[in-house]
Amino acid sequence: MPERTQAVIVGAAETPYSRHPPEGTTTESVLADAFLRVLEATGVRREEVDGLGVASFTLKPDRAIDLAWKLGVRPRWLMDDGNGGVSGIQMIQHAMRALDAGDATTVVLVSGDHFTRDDFKTLVDEYNQTTARYLARIPHGGPNALFAMLTRRQMEEHGLGRADYGRLAVAQRRWASMNPNAAFRTPLTIDEYLNAPPVVEPLHRLDCVPVVTGADALVLRVEGPGVRIRALRALHNVDGQEGTGLRTGIADIADELWRDADAGPADMDVISVYDDYPAMAVAQLNDLGFVGDGDLGGFLRRVDDERLPVNTSGGQLSAGQAGTAGGMIGLVESVLQLQGRAGERQIEEARLAVATGYGMVLYRYGACANAIVLERP
Amino acid sequence: MSARIFVCESCGRAVFPHRLLCPECGGAAFRDEPVESGTLEDFADRGEVRIGVVRVAAGPLLIARIEGPPQRGATVALDEDGAVPVARA
Repeated sequence: MPERTQAVIVGAAETPYSRHPPEGTTTESVLADAFLRVLEATGVRREEVDGLGVASFTLKPDRAIDLAWKLGVRPRWLMDDGNGGVSGIQMIQHAMRALDAGDATTVVLVSGDHFTRDDFKTLVDEYNQTTARYLARIPHGGPNALFAMLTRRQMEEHGLGRADYGRLAVAQRRWASMNPNAAFRTPLTIDEYLNAPPVVEPLHRLDCVPVVTGADALVLRVEGPGVRIRALRALHNVDGQEGTGLRTGIADIADELWRDADAGPADMDVISVYDDYPAMAVAQLNDLGFVGDGDLGGFLRRVDDERLPVNTSGGQLSAGQAGTAGGMIGLVESVLQLQGRAGERQIEEARLAVATGYGMVLYRYGACANAIVLERP
Repeated sequence: MSARIFVCESCGRAVFPHRLLCPECGGAAFRDEPVESGTLEDFADRGEVRIGVVRVAAGPLLIARIEGPPQRGATVALDEDGAVPVARA
């Protein structure tokens, strides 16, 4: 078992997520906004920040050091992370060890993106060399078609219909209605979900995350009151892209994660899974052991009917996908819930939270996966 | 008319797309091998373009542009457009 870190997460912040950000918004301006918000939320002074980690698709050609310079931070520990949906947990995996080792005392991690139309097309067509060479020239039109195929397979294997996935979309929108930062807050009916225009069958519009501008940030410190990290595990490239794609690396680390955390799925008060598509959210919930008997449809009905605390910020499906901030949205929500700062959507007496990261579609599906268990101060 | 896969010179393991080292034995040398047909396992209809996953007998899964009406489980003929596999249903 890896040694449990002494580092704590002292606070979290998020900018509003917006489909139509104000004129003049840039990736660096929205990252700076999140940076200022997390200092405000934690009372940490800029001069105290001696570690900086940055995850962004659209900051390039700038890197973490450019942001440090422009923010006036002098880091002793500096990290760029380009790994999308796993970047948030991944930066914590590195930062907590740096704090334990004494490389830094106060680390800010920030993730976010602002896409122009051209930025987004470039990201989709040139996501990696394999995509540029083998997929963009089909043309595959981005990941929707790949996840449409995965979703259809999951539907067949588990006897699911569109209405089952709609349960998750409706439930997450209910949470989003209580999150002032979410891009979509108007409650959703199952009929609205089912009647949304098709994108690539069986995916319709409300199965695909809306691209937004926004950023998230966390502060980790070497000690002091803060959210404790009970366990963190990662496993990437679990099957060389040669599996079904419906079993993520989380399935292989779940037992270790729960053992390290000295807790199990039933103990979790807040659950945040990476929801780029409903099928992948369900796959991760299953991999973590929340479904138990493998009845995904029954579990989805419980998420909705019993108001299970899954993606209580509204997740990316309703709050929006602010690029790499999608790798931090669940972490920020977990920290806010455990600190009792989640406003109208606060889960009473929230003590333990689990969050996952997933992503980096190399060819057929996401290759990266990680998960973290957090405990209130 | 064929698409291609990559076969490890050391152990014969086939991959697609290309890798730097063989996932099986770690060998670094691959040869191109033509594949003329496969089985259409999945497809998605994007309107003007259909894409599908084709499994070839040697094992690898190829994501291909589909020409003609797709049917899951059907045998498709494989071709190439540049590096992109094309499946003719």
